[in-house]
Amino acid sequence: MTQQFPKVELLTTRAKLEAGREQTVDVLIRITPPDLNALNNSRPALNLSLVLDRSGSMAGEKMVKARNAAMYCVDQMLPTDRLSVVAFDDHIDVLFPSEPVTNKSSMKNLISHVEARGSTALHEAWVRGGLTVSEQLIDKGVNRVVLITDGLANVGITSTDEIVSQAMGLNQRGVSTSTIGIGDDFNEDLLLPMAQSAGGNAWHVVEPNDMQRIFEVELQGLIAQVAHTVSLSLIPADGVRIVDLLNDFELTDTGRYRLPNLQAGSPLEIVVQLRVGAQAIGSSLRLLDLRLGFTPQDARAAEVLRQAQTVEFATKDEVEALPINYEVVKASQFLMNARARNEAMRLIDVGQFTEAGVVLGASLHATYEACAPLASSESVMEECASLEELAMSLKDRLRDKMSRKRLAYSAHRIRTSK
Amino acid sequence: MKHPVEQERGKKFVGLPEFAAVCERVMSDLGLEQARGTVTNVPDERTIRYYLAEGLIQPVDERQGTASVFAYVHLLQLVAVKKLQAEHFPIRKIRELVAGKSELELESLLGIGTQAKRSRDNEAKRYLESLLAPSMSIAFGEAVEPEPIKQMRMRSAAAPPPVPSSAPDQTAVWQRLEIEPGLEVHIRSDYTPPTTSARTRSLADRIRGVISRYWKEK
Repeated sequence: MTQQFPKVELLTTRAKLEAGREQTVDVLIRITPPDLNALNNSRPALNLSLVLDRSGSMAGEKMVKARNAAMYCVDQMLPTDRLSVVAFDDHIDVLFPSEPVTNKSSMKNLISHVEARGSTALHEAWVRGGLTVSEQLIDKGVNRVVLITDGLANVGITSTDEIVSQAMGLNQRGVSTSTIGIGDDFNEDLLLPMAQSAGGNAWHVVEPNDMQRIFEVELQGLIAQVAHTVSLSLIPADGVRIVDLLNDFELTDTGRYRLPNLQAGSPLEIVVQLRVGAQAIGSSLRLLDLRLGFTPQDARAAEVLRQAQTVEFATKDEVEALPINYEVVKASQFLMNARARNEAMRLIDVGQFTEAGVVLGASLHATYEACAPLASSESVMEECASLEELAMSLKDRLRDKMSRKRLAYSAHRIRTSK
Repeated sequence: MKHPVEQERGKKFVGLPEFAAVCERVMSDLGLEQARGTVTNVPDERTIRYYLAEGLIQPVDERQGTASVFAYVHLLQLVAVKKLQAEHFPIRKIRELVAGKSELELESLLGIGTQAKRSRDNEAKRYLESLLAPSMSIAFGEAVEPEPIKQMRMRSAAAPPPVPSSAPDQTAVWQRLEIEPGLEVHIRSDYTPPTTSARTRSLADRIRGVISRYWKEK
């Protein structure tokens, strides 16, 4: 396949910075993965294990929709893909081990007989699903466990930290994990970090009817994956220091930011705040050196892309006459809103619902103000609607758990540009 | 058991009659059932020509005199076509799935090569198996099997560190580091330390638990 690198853009709010004073500068780093057509490549082969919760709480519509979504998944896969399905309650059954998806009707028949019962041996089921994938690893394909549950791990290993760290360990060995939490009883503090640390996606199915759409998005993401094991390091120039990285990405063992996998058609937006010392009028400064490490889907070896950002310094009047890049403003504001969601979650956890509402309201107000020229853009309208809905949902005290999940997942989506 | 096609890996077949004969042998070893009467189970020379014309088998680019030289990839394509026909895929879909695919992709479609992959790729599998091993219970504060602790007590300080039974990679290197006089940790070369403060705290708690259990038993 034609080797193509992602495109990296470094953007500041205005093209030049004001000379003669120390200042904080937001830099938007936009990483646009190459698209699949440009790569002249068919999609990567998939090796999936669907690990499906059939504990008692799944009974009724949730079980029906989960079965249908799993069958939909079978229909979308190609004979060059592999699929296994593991159903679990307190017992774990491998419905079928990893097989090429050629005999779809018999796969669907097996899935159609999954019935809800028992409790939730989530950890062991995940391990069993991982085993079916790892026994048939597809070289240069996407090897992934998709864990679908509505409950809490209550049989076997239940420690959140331990499961998350194991999921990360498995990802380092080539098998990623996505998690799909259904309803309002699952543990988002397990499923979100589990997917995040395991190179997969975290989804929240609010209504059973959303299940198929979530599966569609997950499958599209898998098909569009163009690079994995993505990391970023930023080296500021002398006189420049990194104040904050608004996406709050975790660090790798080597001190780099661990980024989500790159998917064609989904640019990743990262905002870093720099403190820049005073510079002379007319001078230019190399603000930042960027190193993006990634492993293309069709390669074994990692690639490295390096880029630098240089800016010029001008008088205050000259800078203010330059147009504002509202994409930078918007990206910063949305990431601040993600933090506000996490703060609201923390307040909910200590019972301060009114304060949580105030935090969200302040974010909504700040978004209207900062993004006023983009008020009619779809993304700004969506973000404002989301904040409004979250603030409203806090008033329905019967749905506290759902509100918390909505906050957690919408913050995660913004941070990872999903 | 080896897939019948695998025996032909790397071989060349000179001329259509020889290729057709090999196809016939492989197909009969494979025993694929074609349900529809219009599809021949064992492809003859005429069928192979048809597949070539339809692009189901890629053109032959090597010749010996006037004879076409078929390769392993052609055989894989033919067997993949027959397999997909047996599973009722339409010709259009079969062409999409088979044309332009590498030997590796075709082998994967036919479920070949699993054994080779098992030995090569199974770091993930070994890791997961280690997570299911009973000795994991020590790490999670459940029923503690004190055996590893007792073994440590009996060994002299100069003895090499043990490789626990749950180690996912027997070739990994262990290093022992002294925390304070009388207390050492053994770190395997592929160990990943926790990256968040919550996980670091959890690790510290588990270490504290192991040490206090050791004292109780002592």
